Amino acid sequence: MSSNGEHALESRLLKTGSERLALLGKHADVLMQAYTRDEVPLESLSDSALRKLLAARILWRPDEQSGVKLAPKVRELIAEMLADETRRHVNADVAETLELIRALVHSYREARSRGEHWRLEQQLMRLRQEVDDLNGRFADAIDSLWQRLNSDFGFVSQLNDKIRENDRAQKQIARLLDGLALIDFDELIELVGSDGSLRKLLISLLQQQLSQHYTGLREVQRRLIELMARFRKQQARSRLISGMAAFMREHPGFVPGNYARRSEVPGLVNQAAPLSAAAAPALDRNLDSRLLAELLHQLPQPRHTTQTVEAAAPAQAQESSLAAARQQALKQDVEHFYLSVIDQPQAEPVSALEYLHESPLEWPEEIWLFQVISEYQGLPRSDQKAFRLKQQESQASQFNHLRLIHDVELQLAV
Amino acid sequence: MIEHGPLLERLLAGEFVCPISDESGYRHLTNEETREEIDTYLRPLNRRLASNEEGSVYFLAWRQLNDNARDQLSRQLGDTLNSLLPLLEWLQLVQEALGRDTLAAPGDVLKPAEFSAKCEDNQSLRERLERLATDSFFGSQSDQLDAQVKQVFKRLKEHGYLLQPHSERQVFVVTGKIDYLVDLVRFIRDEENLPIEEGSEEGSGSQEALL
Repeated sequence: MSSNGEHALESRLLKTGSERLALLGKHADVLMQAYTRDEVPLESLSDSALRKLLAARILWRPDEQSGVKLAPKVRELIAEMLADETRRHVNADVAETLELIRALVHSYREARSRGEHWRLEQQLMRLRQEVDDLNGRFADAIDSLWQRLNSDFGFVSQLNDKIRENDRAQKQIARLLDGLALIDFDELIELVGSDGSLRKLLISLLQQQLSQHYTGLREVQRRLIELMARFRKQQARSRLISGMAAFMREHPGFVPGNYARRSEVPGLVNQAAPLSAAAAPALDRNLDSRLLAELLHQLPQPRHTTQTVEAAAPAQAQESSLAAARQQALKQDVEHFYLSVIDQPQAEPVSALEYLHESPLEWPEEIWLFQVISEYQGLPRSDQKAFRLKQQESQASQFNHLRLIHDVELQLAV
Repeated sequence: MIEHGPLLERLLAGEFVCPISDESGYRHLTNEETREEIDTYLRPLNRRLASNEEGSVYFLAWRQLNDNARDQLSRQLGDTLNSLLPLLEWLQLVQEALGRDTLAAPGDVLKPAEFSAKCEDNQSLRERLERLATDSFFGSQSDQLDAQVKQVFKRLKEHGYLLQPHSERQVFVVTGKIDYLVDLVRFIRDEENLPIEEGSEEGSGSQEALL
């Protein structure tokens, strides 16, 4: 009799359940809109449809004033189906499941002692479902963690967000591990006693599954910590570079110490001068000379163009390099003259010839003056303004405007 | 020793060897025995193998710091410091232009064309690039965006910060020398006690503490 009642209850449950599940499909568009927004767009729902959805707890209204929202469980279900990592929840409420399992086991034993086979079956099935749920929740959570890890938290773009998400994931792992720790197999062994099917379900199967979850969680945790270290390093580099660039822009005159002059030169600064490992063809080994001869034959024939005598330059390479060296020395001496002018107290004018005579230098006067003037003209305009160059000159003759320069005076413009 | 010939030549020429610039050479250098062999070889040349702290990049250092070596190091340090700000600004520019939130790191691929396109669309980036390209370190003479970008990449390649795997393709890879540059910056900051923060501003640690 009671068994008939139970059957009736079950068939009613089945009917209502399917009707309500069908609601999800029927209003899928509206529900997805609600998923992406804060509230359900009511304009596309009829009154009766809304009532049905509220009755099925697919939607809910927090209070009279506020709009209609998606029920948290439905939101979770969608997130889970979409593997939407921004909204996916990790929930392994182990304590409650354990309470439920204890209650179910007691009820199962009662049914067995009373010989109620149908109830016995029902309780065993619910136990199996609870254990599966528990497993599923851990498996889902671990799957979600791996997804986030493998995408380098690609669902958020900013490094700061990635760091926060990583932090959140690590806390979830800690909670999951705490949850696993709540399951005490000694207690479960005592609870199931000698019952074979319970023992198989709650001890051997569960233990094996949980140890897999535990290994999985530890692995994800290790990888998350590694990734976090990498994120932090990237962040630190980025901050360091922008900080240094900002500092150098603000302090254009900033010069760090000369680390190369320290008694202990820092390793990072010690970088040897480049050295090229040059080699030239050598003929002092018979073996090589044959090879070299072959190479020589393989060279493309150079095309000799007839050289006209006029075009050939006199072979004066040595002299010209000597002249270049003298020119360089002259230039340097004149530069020293300029420096001595800068060092004059009260910016007094200095005669170029007087400087030459007083110094041990042996340049011809004419060349010296010429270089002093050309150095002045070679200066950038801004630097030229810093000096005043006065030429002592006279007209060469009455008949033209040729002027002779006898001496020049250089003075700092104050 | 003979198998390390090409590697030695690169090192002697002043190159920085990292997994990007010379994968097999770098792999050899991670072996301590090989490093010792190379060091022994370098002894008469007054050089030794050196690396940054992480060991992500190898280069040659003076073994004995005589006066000549110190002179050369001073000059080199001066050059490096002169090029430091343009290099840092380039790193920032790349980061912003390509919309990344991390610095270019060894192995990152950079395409001048992509970089130009981003700068073309954004006046402020365009101006910053212009200023950077005409800086004496990069030394671009052109007022054309593409030519400026090209020159900047060319100089970075010359200085070993970028590698161009195929000479006919305009695709560059960031080398480990960037790590060296970052290390140098960190070193200068520490030595000169510069007020530059590196750690997290928000301090997720303090948030945790609040929770």
